[in-house]
Amino acid sequence: MVDLTLAGKLAVRELAAEMRGGIRGFRIFLTCLSLGVATIAAVGSLSQALNAGLRADGAKLLGGDIDLRLLQRPVSTEQRTYLQSGSVAYSEVVKMRAMVRPVTQRENRTMVELKAVDVAYPLVGSVQTTRDVPLSELLQKRGSNWGAVVDPGLLTRIGAKTGDVVRMGAARYQIRAQLISEPDRIANVFSFGPRFLVSSASLADTGLIQPGSQIRYHYRLILPADLKPDQWKTNLAQAFPSAGWRIRTPGEAAPGVKRFIDRMSLFLSFVGLTVLLVGGLGITGAVKSYLNGRIRSIATFRCLGASAELIFSIYMIQVVTLGLTGIAIGVAVGGLLPVAMLWLIGPTLPVQPALGVFVTPLALAALFGFLSTITFALLPIAAACEVRPASLFRARIAPINSRPKQRYQLAMGVGILALALLTIGSASEPFFAVWFVGGSILTVLLLGGGAELVIRLARALPPPKNALWRLSITNLYRPGNAVPGIIVSMGVGLSVLVAIALIEGNMSRQISERLPERAPAFFFVDIQPDQVERFDAAVTGIRGTSGYQRVPTLRGRIVKINGRAIEDAAISPDSQWATHGDRALTYAGKKTVESKVVKGTWWPEDYKGPPLISLDAGLARGFGVDIGDTLTLNILGREVTATIHNLREIDWRSLRFDFAIIFSPGTLEGAPLTHIAAIEADPAVEQAVEKAATDPFPNISAIRVRDALQAAGKILAGIGTAITGTAALTIVAGAVVLAGVIASEHQRRVYDAVVFKVLGATRRRILTVYLLEYGMLGLVTGLLSGVIGTVTGWAVIHFLMRTEWEFLGTVVGTTIFICMGVILAAGLLGTWQTLGQKTAIHLRND
Amino acid sequence: MNKMSSPAANPILSLDDVHLKLNSDAGPVHILRGIDLEFNPGETVGVIGPSGSGKTSLLMVIAGLEPATSGKIVAVGQEITTLNEDQLTRFRRDHVGIVFQGFHLVPTMTAIENVALPMEFAGQSDVIDRARHHLLSVGLGERLHHFPGQLSGGEQQRVALARAFGMEPKILLADEPTGSLDHDSGQNIIALLFDLQKRVGTTMILVTHAPDLAGRCERVIRIADGKVADG
Repeated sequence: MVDLTLAGKLAVRELAAEMRGGIRGFRIFLTCLSLGVATIAAVGSLSQALNAGLRADGAKLLGGDIDLRLLQRPVSTEQRTYLQSGSVAYSEVVKMRAMVRPVTQRENRTMVELKAVDVAYPLVGSVQTTRDVPLSELLQKRGSNWGAVVDPGLLTRIGAKTGDVVRMGAARYQIRAQLISEPDRIANVFSFGPRFLVSSASLADTGLIQPGSQIRYHYRLILPADLKPDQWKTNLAQAFPSAGWRIRTPGEAAPGVKRFIDRMSLFLSFVGLTVLLVGGLGITGAVKSYLNGRIRSIATFRCLGASAELIFSIYMIQVVTLGLTGIAIGVAVGGLLPVAMLWLIGPTLPVQPALGVFVTPLALAALFGFLSTITFALLPIAAACEVRPASLFRARIAPINSRPKQRYQLAMGVGILALALLTIGSASEPFFAVWFVGGSILTVLLLGGGAELVIRLARALPPPKNALWRLSITNLYRPGNAVPGIIVSMGVGLSVLVAIALIEGNMSRQISERLPERAPAFFFVDIQPDQVERFDAAVTGIRGTSGYQRVPTLRGRIVKINGRAIEDAAISPDSQWATHGDRALTYAGKKTVESKVVKGTWWPEDYKGPPLISLDAGLARGFGVDIGDTLTLNILGREVTATIHNLREIDWRSLRFDFAIIFSPGTLEGAPLTHIAAIEADPAVEQAVEKAATDPFPNISAIRVRDALQAAGKILAGIGTAITGTAALTIVAGAVVLAGVIASEHQRRVYDAVVFKVLGATRRRILTVYLLEYGMLGLVTGLLSGVIGTVTGWAVIHFLMRTEWEFLGTVVGTTIFICMGVILAAGLLGTWQTLGQKTAIHLRND
Repeated sequence: MNKMSSPAANPILSLDDVHLKLNSDAGPVHILRGIDLEFNPGETVGVIGPSGSGKTSLLMVIAGLEPATSGKIVAVGQEITTLNEDQLTRFRRDHVGIVFQGFHLVPTMTAIENVALPMEFAGQSDVIDRARHHLLSVGLGERLHHFPGQLSGGEQQRVALARAFGMEPKILLADEPTGSLDHDSGQNIIALLFDLQKRVGTTMILVTHAPDLAGRCERVIRIADGKVADG
């Protein structure tokens, strides 16, 4: 049994003596550990701060205690009475897309996000405008003009100013003020246009409210203080069991934003864990290096009768003590980072974070740090236990190179397993965490294997004639070489960076550069059935247009899969999007969409029978359904169960009209449908097409595909920057570890350089040998990381995102180039210091 | 000027009023205080003196590993006190072999690689074959691919001898070459050292504490307090 008191005393005494010279010797260890812990703590804290911000502002963002939404239709009188009677305050808000243009300049039309509010709005919080006048006053009708409060962006877009009059549908609106903030609006993640806030009383004048129009009716309620939202929901469900409305409480105010925050946090936490993994390798190196400097002490302890277990305890206590310091630094920095980030990028965040100390993410980061410290320090400490007392009798002591006992190797395995389980257990989506853990282990193994291959290859190569090449190649396989240290430490971070750069590059190309050659220029929505003939003629009559398509549509929500509520169904993460809101539906007798039927057959054109659907094959995989299974959809308050008749593989990138769900004839025809259309157009005639489509049909909205894609591209670029920025930390961690590897080799390199100089090697020659060595290492690391990163990127694009993959050579090439640069620079710096050493002092006898 | 040398003409190495001052925490230390010496081609010279007298420093300045503070050193017809670091390195490579008490082999290189190293730096061909030949000549044919850590002290010093004589230097500097070895190994090394010196015809300057070992040299110089006391 080890005397832990004695071990503790010896550990503290030795550590204190070591610390007298400052923390210089522990810089790499502390940096590696605190960097990883800080990243995990910061990501977790920011995520919690944002979610807390969402929760704190839940009622404000929701617009009340309850938000009830119906699509395309308002509530019935009976329902309205129920809602009003059960609440202490009640407000109705109508949202839709619409086209707005100045009355004087008709060509400056643009799509807006219309929000029509009643006098009770907002029930929670307040609307801030550029004028100190109550909102209801700003929106009321004066003469023939209603009032509107608009986003400043709209004024720029249509070349108008406050006081100007614009037309929306058949109604005229005077812009009375600019909007500063709405309490119930999440910072824009994606929108089709600027906000246009009007009175709901004005909507009747616009003529936009047509059957089947894509209108969202929101009903906001403030409940009596003694009535809990959940109880109210239960009562409502009993009163109107199949009303088909979406009900949200403050806790679910912005599920899309919450999902976005959670997903971003998940991926950024993976980056943090990668930083910690790289840092872990640094911890191993730093501990090994530290213990190499303590061999005489260890051998002396052994000579004086210390057991291997006592040696293990002494150094483990030291490492844990230092580890706790590193963890404390990491937790402090990580906890404070969200404050700094709020200051730096606050305005771009989707929701304002609620600042505070979030114990859970900080504790989790500390736990990750603690487990990593022990796991990664285990083997070097165990190896040090094998130092023989006889080492004391040697003039020059060889570095610790003994194999640790099996039980320590097993303990390290347990540590890795614990880290993996903690990663999976603490992830919001374990599916991704499992892939991350597997990928990380595989990456380290591949890089380690690659390093071993390099060593073997260097040894097997016939010696080159050139002495410099020969020396630098033999340096690669000498005992104690830096090959595994450099390749693994830099390789992990670089692989992540290559993968992220390739994924981001591919996604950007999907949106911008790889637009299909025949992409539509416009999508038109809300075409009324009685307008279709005139509309078709108006837009197709313009020269320079082609590829016109129009289909009837309405929206519905998937509520059951094979009779099982979607909340209880097992749905793969990549298919969950389809259950998060309403899906556009259509019906067809004859197959008109381009997607291919990959399983089953299309129904007869004149099919008359129970409802059938044609389903996206990707969704079928995600839902775990096949032909013959059923989906139940809530369509305008009515539940429709349909049998899956065939599966289609849809290429969404084509931007062609397509629908994840197409019904057979006979089910949807009776519903209030509208039509949507798409048309290709030469850029020169785009304005003419927009004018022809919207001037005579004020209720129809035209979406410019180019603008929408640009907006999406901008969002993607922002997300990409955030992820790449965080991922760059893996390279920082790699560089720290690299510095550690080079520092641990410093004494050896100095000694070698001194002997080389004695034997006639000029400084230039020594420098060339080392630069060739580091250059080769940089190239190999870059190539290995390039391959691993590319395979990872391809797997994510191909299997997870299910889109087309393109290898982006420049991205990989640049990364390899950067890698070589970093390794060469670090090597050059280390070598330069080596060359500057005085020779004689290293050669004198002790 | 009193040149401490044997009477032969054309010395291969001469030191003229060489001083060496080094800075330490306690202030400057005057280690060599005006050394005047001459060494003739092929002669063996033993350098003795108490610890701290400046013996090793003398070897260091002769090898150009420690720049003399003042004075003039001419070796193989070159005034080495005017050479820069790289020129000194090349001079050492071409003309000087050094054997240390602590061997100073590169621990991560095998015996054959260590011996081949100066030849590689000199850009010579067939260095591995030649290194093998030199190791065979010191009786280490069985230890060609062993690392220094796998060799005994005596074997390591034999590798160092093979390395030092591999370039057939005009001057060989030996700093207590048996200081880290047991008696028998030391005797073997000394025998080998003198044998190689004779074969190559090099001028050998041997620093030692042992008067009997110094006595095997053709001439003995005694250093005391940074000056030549006798010789």
